[in-house]
Amino acid sequence: MANRLFQSVIHQMKDAIDRTIGIIDDSGVVVACSELGKIGETANIDFMSASASETFSFGGTTYRAIGSAQAGEYYAFVNGVDPMAEKYCAVLAIAFTNIKYYYDEKYDRSNFIKNVILDNILPGDIYLKSRELHFNTDVSRTVLLIRATEASDIVIYDVVQNLFPDKTKDFVISINENDIALVKETGKDIDSRDIEKLALSIADTLSGEFYTTVSIGIGSSVDNIKDLAKSFKEAQASLEVGKVFDTDKTIVSYSNLGIARLIYQLPTTLCETFLREIFKRGSIQSLDQETLFTIQKFFENNLNVSETSRKLFVHRNTLVYRLEKIKRITGLDLREFDHAIVFKIALMVNKYLQANPVKY
Amino acid sequence: MASLSLRHVYKKYPGGVVAVSDFNLEIKDKEFIILVGPSGCGKSTTLRMVAGLEEISDGEILIGDRVVNDVAPKDRDIAMVFQNYALYPHMTVFDNMAFGLKLRKTPKDEIKRRVEEAARILDISHLLERKPKALSGGQRQRVALGRAIVREPKVFLLDEPLSNLDAKLRAQMRTEISKLHLKLGTTFIYVTHDQTEAMTMGTRIVVMKDGLIQQVDTPQNLYLYPGNLFVAGFIGSPQMNFIDSKLLKEGDDFFVEFGTEDTKTRAGVKYKIKLPASKNKDNVLEEYVGKELIMGIRPEDVHNEEELIAQFPDGIVEANVEVTELMGAETYLYMNCEEQSINARVSPTNTARPGDRIQITLEPEKIHLFDKETEKTITN
Repeated sequence: MANRLFQSVIHQMKDAIDRTIGIIDDSGVVVACSELGKIGETANIDFMSASASETFSFGGTTYRAIGSAQAGEYYAFVNGVDPMAEKYCAVLAIAFTNIKYYYDEKYDRSNFIKNVILDNILPGDIYLKSRELHFNTDVSRTVLLIRATEASDIVIYDVVQNLFPDKTKDFVISINENDIALVKETGKDIDSRDIEKLALSIADTLSGEFYTTVSIGIGSSVDNIKDLAKSFKEAQASLEVGKVFDTDKTIVSYSNLGIARLIYQLPTTLCETFLREIFKRGSIQSLDQETLFTIQKFFENNLNVSETSRKLFVHRNTLVYRLEKIKRITGLDLREFDHAIVFKIALMVNKYLQANPVKY
Repeated sequence: MASLSLRHVYKKYPGGVVAVSDFNLEIKDKEFIILVGPSGCGKSTTLRMVAGLEEISDGEILIGDRVVNDVAPKDRDIAMVFQNYALYPHMTVFDNMAFGLKLRKTPKDEIKRRVEEAARILDISHLLERKPKALSGGQRQRVALGRAIVREPKVFLLDEPLSNLDAKLRAQMRTEISKLHLKLGTTFIYVTHDQTEAMTMGTRIVVMKDGLIQQVDTPQNLYLYPGNLFVAGFIGSPQMNFIDSKLLKEGDDFFVEFGTEDTKTRAGVKYKIKLPASKNKDNVLEEYVGKELIMGIRPEDVHNEEELIAQFPDGIVEANVEVTELMGAETYLYMNCEEQSINARVSPTNTARPGDRIQITLEPEKIHLFDKETEKTITN
């Protein structure tokens, strides 16, 4: 589609410029040219070394990237290597960069999906635009939000785009400098575990090959394009909730948030009241790290004193003493299920409050 | 030189989860070290800390003589292969292996040299023009390995790279990776939960549980001299038999006693097995006399062949055969001996059938004894 637009503009320009002009794509194939016979020919150009500069010449022709030189998808070319050819090339590149920008905005499917997931399009327009772009609205899709946990010199977008090159089914969208959304078409028979496995393969590829660590939030699978925004928000929420409650997890799926989902949606004032009520005698902050670690191990071992003491390498009586101390401070006997569950929830609520959520 | 040292390394997550505790390990140059243990034991976390993908909470990691705690992963001279590798579907094998180098702006001729060299080592030179969908599972795995090899690292870190393959391919790739280690002559650290992989590939094995090293030794020593009950049970397939017993002393001789006194449901037999004097090295058994302990014996050290029963009369007991499994080269007998499960690995010509009550002997020299409370080995 873009190629036809390029050819149409080149055709209009050919009388104004007394040279052979045209556009090649990043594999060197001529996609538009003032000499029609050259369309489809391949120029053997080393873009890797050539694209370091904005304008470069090769085999008697001057080239310039359309858009940024780093992510050069298309290049304008003008026959000749003289200063005039360079000037023509620069003008062509500017003109086509703008044409491509407006074209992409109007007709690019990725851009359309970006507007859908970011709620930048009216619900009624979604169907009109889908029809215009021949977009299948009723297939299952899932949004995965990939967030770089630290700065990296590798463009994560490029890697993810190359892992999912089918641009008719999967859409890789750059949200901001750290976040990339992947809108993945999923079959009806694909369950959440398959999606988590897919997310894990993205994370493993990025860390294994590019030493880049990411967290991935997974929204729920939706059957209609209008629900993609919901799936995206769920993926965002998964990352936020995961950051608070599952700090050691790389992949967080919205469908597996469990009790963390409830706590995350509680008003902070309610949470504070709850903590005050539970820890009437002494605050949760009065428990030291060792005690909190003991409690965590006690929960992990299903409130089993013998098993926990073995895991902690302490004598059974030492553990009993510690549990008694917790009871003295908090009034909660963790050996009783009711008290233990209250304490577990209180710990999670405390974690939530410590993550500095918006107060309300 | 690519020796590696992990000194008092800890990984604690915010909120108190301790994934790895006081991890100490010296890895020699060109060694093939295996980290093995059940899920959640901290082996992958340890590997990721070596890679720099996880920050360490305490301790230090050295690659060669350099402390790398604060060195970025890309500058650590390591390469990683994970279980969930993904190949770029629209790229050829060559481009898949070259992609990482291209993004790092490696010169084109250097990329070509490295990819061709890696392809030669992995024996996939003839596949360089193919796309991933035209490759078998094993070939894809080799491409994933190739992507690591082209980085020419000092240390290879492999995190369960074979877990996604079927059993036959996994066995084949085990050999391939061992060969690759010899060809490349670099240090390998390999994480797996599969004790067979650990036993067949590593020069040394680190057995982990709950974030702690249980034992570090050669595969053979781990098998023959496990340091505790966990290692004894984890290493070896079928698993070692564990029998709740009591240690007795009569004169200068030590005996392990097990069985039941419940005469309503069973014959109510108590068996006494005389231990050879070699089991009481440094008088280790003295303090356990009259105490409960756990006796361990490997299935291949339980026999029901007549000549072996005659050879080891001190270990004779009777058991009811519950299930038999013919594996081809051997047969597994799953038996019940006075409420204790005992498995034996015997000859495939064995005639014992489910329901039979048979005589078996537990080879006394091969008995291991474990402290019931600490689970540490008393004698091997």
